Amino acid sequence: MGDSQYSFSLTTFSPSGKLVQIEHALTAVASGQTSLGIKAANGVVIATEKKLPSILVDETSVQKIQILTPNIGVVYSGMGPDFRVLVRKSRKQAEQYHRLYKEPIPVTQLVRETAAVMQEFTQSGGVRPFGVSLLVAGFDDKGPQLYQVDPSGSYFSWKASAMGKNVSNAKTFLEKRYTDDMELDDAVHTAILTLKEGFEGQISGKNIEIGIIGTDRKFRVLTPAEIKDFLDEVE
Amino acid sequence: MSRGSGGGYDRHITIFSPEGRLFQVEYAFKAVKAAGITSIGVRGKDSVCVVTQKKVPDKLLDQTSVTHLFPITKYLGLLATGTTADARTLVQQARNEAAEFRFRYGYEMPVDVLAKWIADKSQVYTQHAYMRPLGVVAMILGIDDEKGPQLFKCDPAGHFFGHKAASAGSKDQEAINILEKKMKNDPAFSFEETVQTAISALQSVLQEDFKANEIEVGVVRKENPVFRVLSTDEIDEHLTAISERD
Repeated sequence: MGDSQYSFSLTTFSPSGKLVQIEHALTAVASGQTSLGIKAANGVVIATEKKLPSILVDETSVQKIQILTPNIGVVYSGMGPDFRVLVRKSRKQAEQYHRLYKEPIPVTQLVRETAAVMQEFTQSGGVRPFGVSLLVAGFDDKGPQLYQVDPSGSYFSWKASAMGKNVSNAKTFLEKRYTDDMELDDAVHTAILTLKEGFEGQISGKNIEIGIIGTDRKFRVLTPAEIKDFLDEVE
Repeated sequence: MSRGSGGGYDRHITIFSPEGRLFQVEYAFKAVKAAGITSIGVRGKDSVCVVTQKKVPDKLLDQTSVTHLFPITKYLGLLATGTTADARTLVQQARNEAAEFRFRYGYEMPVDVLAKWIADKSQVYTQHAYMRPLGVVAMILGIDDEKGPQLFKCDPAGHFFGHKAASAGSKDQEAINILEKKMKNDPAFSFEETVQTAISALQSVLQEDFKANEIEVGVVRKENPVFRVLSTDEIDEHLTAISERD
């Protein structure tokens, strides 16, 4: 893809060999709301802050955690509009895979294809990189998986990761608390505690979002009531 | 040493600045403010009302041709705040999309679907260098079959949210402050209360009392989900009711 008048890339190498547009995109991600993911022994949890610009915004009209396939969910840090584009493209790719192979797309394949889209936008003419990093959580035949995809298009599998404003504190917290044999419920508690660390104001079921997937392989977003129950347990 | 500011082009096209910002998008927001009018939208229990200033810059202009309120379909209205020319483009495309939706899927385009479509289009302009973002903030109103009255606001960055109340334009921040106070306890406004809250909020923000032909008011009501622009007589009734109330 590429836009006719702009048949040259806007992301070009600096003399020191860096792609500065990608670095700036990462800065945009780092100033976004904190999000994190934790892979447990029997599932994956992803969570994010949901701070809205005013109390007049109807919080039920916004959902930051999105479902890509019944067994894969995704959350982001960075620019919401860019995220919507990636969600749309990923969902389509998952459907196309299913149409061809009559099988749900494995998590690694979907991550790879999404990352390829993000890389395209760092090289094609007339476009800028996406200002989002994604955390993709899924459960397939290989078990629970958590991947982080960056604006450059590079992706890694993580046991636990965080992105956005509070990334360094969150990651330190996660490093201390993570154990390989964590259960999904423990992971949810840890996720809430990590979000709480850097949270400005009173944390509640209305200003965070949590998505989980367990051995049932059905990704779902928790309702505010369920989040409240977890919050009460954490207290 | 890395090339810092994108060769100076980060202010001209939508590429990232060193701080990770998109200057062209921020400038588009400024263009919305520069238009010099303020708009307000309020969602009630079974109706939605939007109100905006009607500034006719020249007495020789035909007043009826100056409008920022556009019906997209019979049931969906759009209030465009910002550059009028960009607003007309947006309205044209939205009307086309809503009509195609109705044809393709056999039912009327819901409010949130139209809002998402407008927002996604705006996002494309923020990522592709060949088109600049539009200098328009759009407020879309309608009655949803399942969710009831809906008010959505879409901005040049491609964000869109559902709102209980919203504002746009030069004094949008003051308007939001006033509306937050009025709607703090999640009130369920009747139709009259909705319209009067919107109009009186605009009056407080601009600190002047209006005449009926200085504002435009658009409404949708559950009992009659057609998008309607109020006539000057109807606006007068509401203005009288407000001044008697105070």
